[in-house]
Amino acid sequence: MSYDKPIPTRGTHTKPFWDGARLGKLMLPRCQDCSRVHWYPRHICPYCHSTNLDWIEGSGRGTLHTYAVQYVGAGGWAKEVPFVSAYIDLQEGDRMLTVLRGVDPNKPEDIRIGTPVVVAFEQADDETFIPFWRVVEA
Amino acid sequence: MTGPLYKAAAIVGAAESNQIGFLQTPVTSLQLHIEAIRNVCDQTGIPVSRIEGVFSTGWSTELCEHLGIRPKYIDTTAVGGCSFEMHVHHALAAIYSGIIDVALISHGENGHSARKVGSGGTVSYGRGAGVLSPANEMSMAYGLVGAASGYAHAMVRHMHRYGTKREDYAHIAKVARDWATLNPRAAMYSKEKHPFGGPITVEQVETSRLIAWPLTILHCCMVTDHGGAVLVCSPKVAASLRTRPVWIAGAGEAMGHGNMLEMEDFTRTSAAQSAQAAYTMAGMGPADMEMAMIYDSFTITAAITVEMLGLARPGEGHLLWKDGRAAPGGNFPINTNGGGLSFNHSGMYGMPLLIEAYRQLSGTAEDGVHGVPGKQTRARTCVVNGTGGALSTTGTLVLIADD
Repeated sequence: MSYDKPIPTRGTHTKPFWDGARLGKLMLPRCQDCSRVHWYPRHICPYCHSTNLDWIEGSGRGTLHTYAVQYVGAGGWAKEVPFVSAYIDLQEGDRMLTVLRGVDPNKPEDIRIGTPVVVAFEQADDETFIPFWRVVEA
Repeated sequence: MTGPLYKAAAIVGAAESNQIGFLQTPVTSLQLHIEAIRNVCDQTGIPVSRIEGVFSTGWSTELCEHLGIRPKYIDTTAVGGCSFEMHVHHALAAIYSGIIDVALISHGENGHSARKVGSGGTVSYGRGAGVLSPANEMSMAYGLVGAASGYAHAMVRHMHRYGTKREDYAHIAKVARDWATLNPRAAMYSKEKHPFGGPITVEQVETSRLIAWPLTILHCCMVTDHGGAVLVCSPKVAASLRTRPVWIAGAGEAMGHGNMLEMEDFTRTSAAQSAQAAYTMAGMGPADMEMAMIYDSFTITAAITVEMLGLARPGEGHLLWKDGRAAPGGNFPINTNGGGLSFNHSGMYGMPLLIEAYRQLSGTAEDGVHGVPGKQTRARTCVVNGTGGALSTTGTLVLIADD
């Protein structure tokens, strides 16, 4: 069955992220001058404005910052509603948007802000693996 | 006490397009613009030919061409629904500096009709998120659609931080509807006007259809057709008119982020900064305000905003509505037209905020097309706050009635 959800249009400076995703690695942009990780990938460090940027392999771990349950969705997501969207605080710093797997969208009160989460990649096409996060089982 | 720019410029008139709401016969955005401009010129007696500055969300060249205006000042600030509060800020600066005496701020948006005839025109929300923006690249896989999908995340974080329940925010929607039932121009004025119009209960807000939990549809604004225009003038011009001036005592604008990925604190907006600028310019503070017009794209937007404006303590914004202070008959009226939740909201709601603030402070809030009294308050000062994008941009105004 083919993947029917939106597949990201790639920018000109994000190849290391997508290359890493194919190998199951969460690559994150980091400034070599101030050592801070930022998300989304910039052309310049948003903290110290250096253009001396590099990519590091992230731990793929984080915590749940906030979430919502979507009852309307784009493309193939329309068939998967309700689903839980979430912002993840990365262990390395800054924050990422995702769809949170492994939680019950019909029991949103049971989802806990601050709970540990890990990343996993789902294949969308030959080139594209998309990061989704899931709650770490206790 | 007032600041140095008090009586530097005034809003001298405010009008809407001939029809607003869920229009049966589709209209274009341009038509809504032109009708509103025609109406505000008729109201004030200022001919179109006297307009020197044109402020809109990307429409200014089209409007000038359509109306035959040769502008001396053009502004197309388009940063979401708060753009119109920023237009007032910019018009104040242009008039205070002596560049122009008469500024037009115009809005036309066929949010409802667009479903039949397309949105057309040159309107732009200006969020800068094209297909090649990296923020968009890293978000689009997750299928989020519409403003509610984003704002719901802020509401969950706000509830988590302050221990509030969704029902607390539902009072904001209930009170908005109470005001709408006093306003014949409100889309949700009555059951006769709209099948879902007329009074609602907190329970109805809570049990209505889910859009993005925790937001039910009655926690969300509508999408209607709306056109509006205001004229901002120098004191010299204002003194020559038949309409009453409403003075711009303070103005400020700010932004926290563009994409929600960069929203540092989901429980706060940049309204704290834009309000501080406006209060400082006015030489006044939240305690001097007697009413408020607050952008209520969602109940959570209004709750956070009154906290940022210093009208409520953090986490207690909803109490203004729950305790009835913001409601008809309360001592601090908020959103006396019925708000984006129940009056009109075409996609960008900043213009209706301005129009209602003008009507309240000029004593003409009862002059709706049907002349039904009821929503005019005794307020002499009003703080207006627009919020644009994904809780991103804000514009705040402090307005004062003429002596």
